[in-house]
Order: sequence, then C-alpha cells, then structure tokens
Amino acid sequence: MKHALLEIWGDVVETKALVFSIVIITALTMGAHLLAPADNSTMGLFFGIGGAVLGFLICVKVIKPRRHITIEEDQ
Amino acid sequence: MDASLIIWMIGAAIMAVALYTFIGFIPGTDETSVLLPITLAIVLSGVDAMVVLSFFIAAIVTLNLTNAMPTALVNLPGGVMSSAMIEHSIVIKKAGRSAEVIKKMAAASALGVLISVPLSLVLAFFLTPFAETIAPYSGYLFIIGAIFLSLISRNKTLSLFSIIPLAVLFMALRHLYWGLGIVPEDQTITVSFFLGITIGPLLVSLFRLLNKQIFNDSIIDKENHISIPKRNKDVKKVNPFKLLSKEEKKHAGMGAMIVNFFFVLSPVGLTILIGEAFGKRYKDPFKRAVMSVTTMSGVVQATYLSGIIIPLLALGIPLSPVAIGPGNALFNAPPVFDLDNNIHHILGFSEFTLAVIIGAVIALLLSYTLITRYALQITKVILSYVPHEAVLGLFIAFIVLLAYMDAGFINIFGVLLVGLLSGTLNRMGVNYGVQFMSLYAAPQLVAFLIGAF
Repeated sequence: MKHALLEIWGDVVETKALVFSIVIITALTMGAHLLAPADNSTMGLFFGIGGAVLGFLICVKVIKPRRHITIEEDQ
Repeated sequence: MDASLIIWMIGAAIMAVALYTFIGFIPGTDETSVLLPITLAIVLSGVDAMVVLSFFIAAIVTLNLTNAMPTALVNLPGGVMSSAMIEHSIVIKKAGRSAEVIKKMAAASALGVLISVPLSLVLAFFLTPFAETIAPYSGYLFIIGAIFLSLISRNKTLSLFSIIPLAVLFMALRHLYWGLGIVPEDQTITVSFFLGITIGPLLVSLFRLLNKQIFNDSIIDKENHISIPKRNKDVKKVNPFKLLSKEEKKHAGMGAMIVNFFFVLSPVGLTILIGEAFGKRYKDPFKRAVMSVTTMSGVVQATYLSGIIIPLLALGIPLSPVAIGPGNALFNAPPVFDLDNNIHHILGFSEFTLAVIIGAVIALLLSYTLITRYALQITKVILSYVPHEAVLGLFIAFIVLLAYMDAGFINIFGVLLVGLLSGTLNRMGVNYGVQFMSLYAAPQLVAFLIGAF
C-alpha cells in the first residue's frame, strides 16, 4: 500500500499510519485480554482496556498528527 | 450509608472528569463508543450502584462541555452532539471571537445542568407511578419506540422499512450462537451489537477504502490546516452568570427546560431543533451564531441528563436514546445488572438523587473551571500530539474486544456484519435511535411476526 492522505470522519489521516494504529492497538488490546484469567470477565475487560490504552499511547508517541497548526494573531 | 461511600462517589466523579476532559478534547470521539465500554468496566468491577451513577453523571456532564471546545476553537467537532454546532462555530471563528464565545458556551452548559438535574428528578418522581403499569409491556414499548422514532425522523419510510430486516439480523446471529453452543440459551448478546451499530458508519468508510477506485478518488493532497485562536485577554471573568447576556440566559435556560419533557427523542435532533429556533430570531449572522451555540450548549446537557435520569429513576427500562445508547450499561450489564435488576431497582429515590447531585456538582465545578481557564492550551496540546489514526484504531480495538468477549472469535465477524449493515443504513438516512430501538425490539418483533404469519 502506498502512503496517501485521506479524510475520514472529519480529519486527515495517513494510510500507513492508520493501518499501523489499527493493527497495533487491536493486537495489544486482544493480547492483554487473553493474558487475563479466562474465568473472570471483569478482569478480561480491564486488561483489554489497559492494552488499548497502551496501544493508543504508542501511537501517540510514534505517529505525527496530520494537522498543520498555527496560532492566530490578535483576537 | 457511610462516609466511605460518599468518598467513593466523589473519587469516581473526579476520575470521570479527568478521563473525559481528555477524551472530550479529542476531535471525533463518538459519545457512545467512549462512554459505554468504560462505564461497563466500572459496573462489572462490582462497585456500589451509587458510585457507578456518580461516575456516569460526571462523565456525561464533562464530556458534553469539553466536546464543544475543539468544535468552537478549531471547528473540529469533539463528538456527535457538537456536530450540531459546527456551522455556527465556523461563523464565530471567522469573526475571530471563538476564544471569548467558549466561555459563554461553558456558562450556558452549566446553566443547563443546574436546570435539568432538579427538573428531571421531579419529572421522574411523578412518572414513577405509571411505570408499574407499563413495565410488563416493555417489549412492545420498544417496537412502538422504533416505529415512533421512524415517524419523527427525516426519512420515515426508509426507517420503517429497515426495522424488521435489522431485527431479523440480530436474532439470526443470536440463534446462530445458541445453535452452535457458543452462547448459553439464557444469554442474549446486546452490548457488542450495540457498539456495532455505533461504529457502523466508520466501518463502512474504512471498508469502502479497500475498493481501489474509491481509495484513489479519496486521496487528498494536503494536511488539515488548523488555526488556534490566541489567548483571550479577558481571562478574569469566570462567574457563569455574568458571562451570559440576559437573552442568552433566557434561551439556554428555556431550551434546557423544554427538552426535559421530550427525553424520549433524539438528543442531536432536539439540540438542532431548539438551537436553530432560538438563533433564527436574530438577523445578524454573528449574533445568531452566538445565540445558537449558547442555547445548544445548555440543551445538550439537558438532553443527556433527562435522557438518563428519567428512564433510570422512573422505569428501569432504557426508553430514551441516551439510555439505550451511552447509558446502556446502567440498565443492562450481565451478570451485574439486567432489565429486572439494575440501578432503578437497587437505589431508592434519595440515594439516586444524592449520587446524581454529587456527580453533577463535581463535574461542573472541575470542568467549568478548567475550561474557562485552559481550553486553548488543552486544545493545542491535544491537536499537536494525538493523531486521528490512533483514535480510529482505538475504536476498532474496542469493538473487537467487546465482540470477542460477548461470543468469541466468530462474533468479531458477526459484529462486522452488523456494523456494515447499520453503517450503510445510517448513510442512507436511518438514524441511530431507530437502529438501537430495533435491537431492543428484536426478540418481541421476531416472535410476533412468526406468531402472526
């Protein structure tokens, strides 16, 4: 797949970064979920959300938002 | 009740404020998708019902207030509700006054909370006697609800025609899982189907991109250019009642009052209807925009608060879009809550009221102060560091997780199927309310059709 910018849900994303995010966050979410004790659905949900947060933070660290931000001059 | 329970409630409310202030500022974070999984986790953790309620009330008050900030400051809607404000926010931003207007919005939002919390508690109190008589017919109420929401929506015929196919799909999947022995017969899959509906439009957008032609046509050549207003000089004024003009107070307050009586209707629909109606009275485009967004800020809070407080306190059945949607876990979160044993049945009137008030007051105090002082800085930090890709990835991961937890690996594809159908219907013009109601009506509707024909 090639690098390209797309607009999805009101903001701009880059295709490779999008695929990376989906794969990494989903993998960590499910990985963490499967590590939790199988007979305890509450722990399963907590582990899963924990994995999701970890994946989210990795993406925040690795991916640069496709936004060009400027500060307006005097209001 | 002991002091430690109150401390727990306060702690839960503070946690909700911290979490949802952050989430609210991130553009495009759909309310249901961010409220439901976290609330579900809190419910399943087994904390007291009052703590759950304080958490949820604090979460919606914070989220409704913070979602309006990126909308007004950089014209990226913070959530579904704030998409109603986008047009007017563009007018205000072009006039270079957004840093000033967000304070008015925050004040109107606070006013909306102060009006709708007591009013919806009173309304619920008076509705409770009738609840006993209608509760046994709840299954039919959902069918009536789906038809009613179709009839008041923009695409009546289309919505009516989509109810039965949706119900058939939900029941087909449930019977498949029962038949294969993946899910015990006394267990009904709801939560993951629910999120499937919510995230449907996103799934459809992503799936369409797998078509080469559509992918190539969707490519754009530049990044999103965003300008953030400079810090407003007039930072000292934070008293909510001094920030609003007499007319703004009147409109936001009246709007918040009116929507309490229409808690069964769609929050976005009500917000647009009332915000536009009050804004229209002004000829000057800037004045009209300011009046609309301040009114909407008050109304948004009231739609959410009445939509959760009235059905939960009076009925115990999710009969409003907010209750069926983001607040679903307060009604139905097996094994802790189900439709015969949830917050409605567990908490008395005074316990319920106390939990709501603690949640609302803490959220208002904290998030109002935070926003009137730091909204610009928070917006800048979030937009500079949080990529949209990560937000979309998070949504996908949540839906995969909840699908898997509900009915194993196969349900990931079951939910994908739900998402693709409901997302497509959504694009065609069938709103979320009709689809959520169809999900709840599905068992009775399918049983009725088989019995009748």
